[in-house]
Amino acid sequence: MTAAPTISDADLASCASEPIRIPGAIQPHGWLVVADALTGRLVAYSRNWPDLLKAPDNEVDAAIHDLLSPIVQTRHTLVDGEGPVSCGPLIAGGRRLHVSGHRLGELTYFELETEAEDAGPRAPIYSLARHLVPLMQRTDSVDALCRLVVNEMKRLTGFGRCLAYRFDAEGHGEVLAEARDADYDAYAGHHFPAADIPSQARELYRINHIRLIPDADYQPVPVRFVDGREPTSLDLSQAALRSVSPVHLQYMRNMGTLASMSVSIIVDGQLWGLVSCHNHAPRHLSWQVRMACEHLGQLLSLQIEAKEENERVSEQLRLRQLTLAIVAHLSDSDATLQRLMAEPGPLLRLGRATGAAVILNDQCWSVGETPAAGALIQLGQWLGNRIDEVDHTDRLATDAPALADALGGAAGLLAISISKLHRHYIVWFRPEIVQTIVWAGDPRKELDNPKGRLHPRLSFASWRQQLGGRSLPWTQGEVHAVQELRQALIGIVLRRAEEMAEVAMELGRVNKELEAFSYTVSHDLRAPMRHIAGFVDLVVEMEGAGLSERSRRYLTHVKEASAHAGQLVDALLDFSRMGRSAIKPVSLNTEHLVDDLIAEHNAQHGAQHSAQHGAQHSALQSPPRSADANGAAREAPIEWTVHRPLPRLWGDPVLLQVAVRNLISNAVKYSRQRHPARITIEPVQNEHGVGLSISDNGVGFQMKYVGKLFGVFQRLHQNEAFEGTGIGLASVRRIVERHGGQVDAWGAPDEGARFTFVLPTREMAAAPSTAPAPPSVDRSSALAALMSSALSAQSPPPRSTDPH
Amino acid sequence: MLKPILLVEDDARDLELTLVALERSQLANEVIVVRDGAEALDYLNREGAHAERAEGNPAVILLDLKLPKVNGLEVLKTVRATESLKSVPVVMLTSSQTESDVVQSYALGVNAYVVKPVEFQRFVAAIADLGVFWAVLNEPPPGSLRSSRRYE
Repeated sequence: MTAAPTISDADLASCASEPIRIPGAIQPHGWLVVADALTGRLVAYSRNWPDLLKAPDNEVDAAIHDLLSPIVQTRHTLVDGEGPVSCGPLIAGGRRLHVSGHRLGELTYFELETEAEDAGPRAPIYSLARHLVPLMQRTDSVDALCRLVVNEMKRLTGFGRCLAYRFDAEGHGEVLAEARDADYDAYAGHHFPAADIPSQARELYRINHIRLIPDADYQPVPVRFVDGREPTSLDLSQAALRSVSPVHLQYMRNMGTLASMSVSIIVDGQLWGLVSCHNHAPRHLSWQVRMACEHLGQLLSLQIEAKEENERVSEQLRLRQLTLAIVAHLSDSDATLQRLMAEPGPLLRLGRATGAAVILNDQCWSVGETPAAGALIQLGQWLGNRIDEVDHTDRLATDAPALADALGGAAGLLAISISKLHRHYIVWFRPEIVQTIVWAGDPRKELDNPKGRLHPRLSFASWRQQLGGRSLPWTQGEVHAVQELRQALIGIVLRRAEEMAEVAMELGRVNKELEAFSYTVSHDLRAPMRHIAGFVDLVVEMEGAGLSERSRRYLTHVKEASAHAGQLVDALLDFSRMGRSAIKPVSLNTEHLVDDLIAEHNAQHGAQHSAQHGAQHSALQSPPRSADANGAAREAPIEWTVHRPLPRLWGDPVLLQVAVRNLISNAVKYSRQRHPARITIEPVQNEHGVGLSISDNGVGFQMKYVGKLFGVFQRLHQNEAFEGTGIGLASVRRIVERHGGQVDAWGAPDEGARFTFVLPTREMAAAPSTAPAPPSVDRSSALAALMSSALSAQSPPPRSTDPH
Repeated sequence: MLKPILLVEDDARDLELTLVALERSQLANEVIVVRDGAEALDYLNREGAHAERAEGNPAVILLDLKLPKVNGLEVLKTVRATESLKSVPVVMLTSSQTESDVVQSYALGVNAYVVKPVEFQRFVAAIADLGVFWAVLNEPPPGSLRSSRRYE
């Protein structure tokens, strides 16, 4: 090993991988002796013994043996792997020396140092315990604790500057507290890059809690093995005198520090931070003072551990209460995850977030500051590839660059996954917080060095860095809390799903029974209705002339009653069928559909009509219906207005024809007494899709009954006034809802009514389930069309379907 | 000479109404009435009570679906499987709208499936249409099974 105070390129090159445990040398302010732990035989010693003992080279071994034999006898009390302990004073070469010893494997190490005449005040350990511990206990923050300790440390050591710093998750150090003399640079609040302390050095700080370098300009003293082995095979990791990496010495000199001392702060077994002392001039500390400092470091470590534990526990308590509040809220509701958005307070506080969202596959609900819905869906897809149970980042844009623009100001993301099968997430957002970090020197220069090697820092001048794109980091406690929430939610969701499945099964069964029942009833009622209607018709026809007026009236009643019953049965049958038959959607031209239905209406009412297909509108007028045999009032003409173009809809042609026919007959029925009756058919479009609106100027209804309109057998008008079965609108709703659409009604008494339905467009409809093999669609549609046409006698099947 | 219409109907009242409807459609075809599926097959195959009938197939078979002994679907199946009968048009005339009945009927090669309307006037009109179409207008070329309406 070189002893030169300046470093060569070769030194630098070797430093990055330098095994600093075995430098093969010690610092010159002490003497090292290594003895065999079993025999006590001399194994190695530092090369500065001859100077101390003033013995010729060939007598040094024996002289050391003689001098140290009383000490070496104590080797059996040393415990392998534990830190150095005091082995008492010793006089050698006319000096009073302090001896400390430790054992590592088969070797015992004895280090001797001059008992220094300490310049600072003596520091008996009991005074630490007596004065400092109560003060420490009274502090309310880790920062205050550190301030207390650096002041004490400075007093104990007499160093010019003493600072305490903490390592962050990436290993950068941040100075939390500082005590310094006026001629020392201030580092409070500064950051030191992780690269300043290589990982093998950190590991030594973890096992060896105090480290003193009295003079950075020292000449290392090589170690000599008695049997001539290479000195670098001696493990000096526990030795206080261990020689330091030349890179580190250069670092100290660059910093203007010739003496330094580091005391480790160990929390939960991890290197939490360091108390670091610097002095412009060389400075040595006695073993006793160092012991006191190490003790002080231990006290600090314990206090920090206790404070952090307290904070952790109280945070955990707070978070658990929030979790409980969320879970309680959800248990009270229908337990669907989007209900979380209804009571967002605890949820947001749980993640100390400014926004949160529930993402369930392609749907999302959000509260507070979150990206737009589209971005949330994208985020859900992105999460799908990386989340197992919980995921978090404080630099979202960096982690998901493709989403950066869409995410807006959200920089922090915490997410939990609620389902193994689906993309079901709850996510929390935090905004970007631009931080100004003051580094003790520009950390980028260390990375920029052209030879790509470890390099001692040249500058410690403050260097400010603006750090954007980041949020406050998520704490372990928060991550843990949302994990707990996740467990609870999964429990609730699962339980809820089980309940729902049970209810659905029961409902399905009841529904099936009801359908079977209604089918049987309607089917078996149909034949006798047909017979009654048919035979009464025949009797009236054949014997009409011979019947009394009263008999003829009675027979008319019978005929009407049976016809009505027949319609009812047919409508019931239709209705029960709608629940079962599969929807076979095609792209449907509603202009053709509407024209056909209007033509059908006009034809059924014995009217010839003149169709005027205008570019925008067409008015189709059916002349007044002539009074029929029952003497019903003459019917008003109907003014049809169709706002073209009407949209194409994605739906089942047969079912939609039924729905539109029902709406049109409804409009005709309730506007019949108007002169003229006006029926308008228009396109509508909203966020749920596209559809039609059918309005009339008829009797209308009160809006307070709007909820009843679409129920089975709900009628708002007296039976005598308007014929009908009371199933028409229920069928409309069932058809529209089976398409995933929505139906709405507006009405005002004596002003008219408007019925609107919209269906999801083809793009909106779920793609995979709606694409069976084309032949079966066409065939079934054709069958259904024929069936429908037979049912309604001569009405044509919708001609306007396009194969898709 | 016009071919007869074969009407297979078990319900006496439906039979009577159907006959009135056919009468009103003013078809000149003779209407042969049989009351169950077995008798229908006997007629078609000139067996049993119908062994002595004159040769020739009917113009159309109006077939009720729910029949005693041999039901409508079975009759249809047999007709389509019999070389000499396969080209005879068959119209299902029934109260049933059960989807599986419709699907099966078409699968077995029915020519039309008509649900009997409740209202008598419509019923008459439906029967008349069927009669006119299948007994008069429709003249399937020899050997063609289903010459006219195909929906697939």
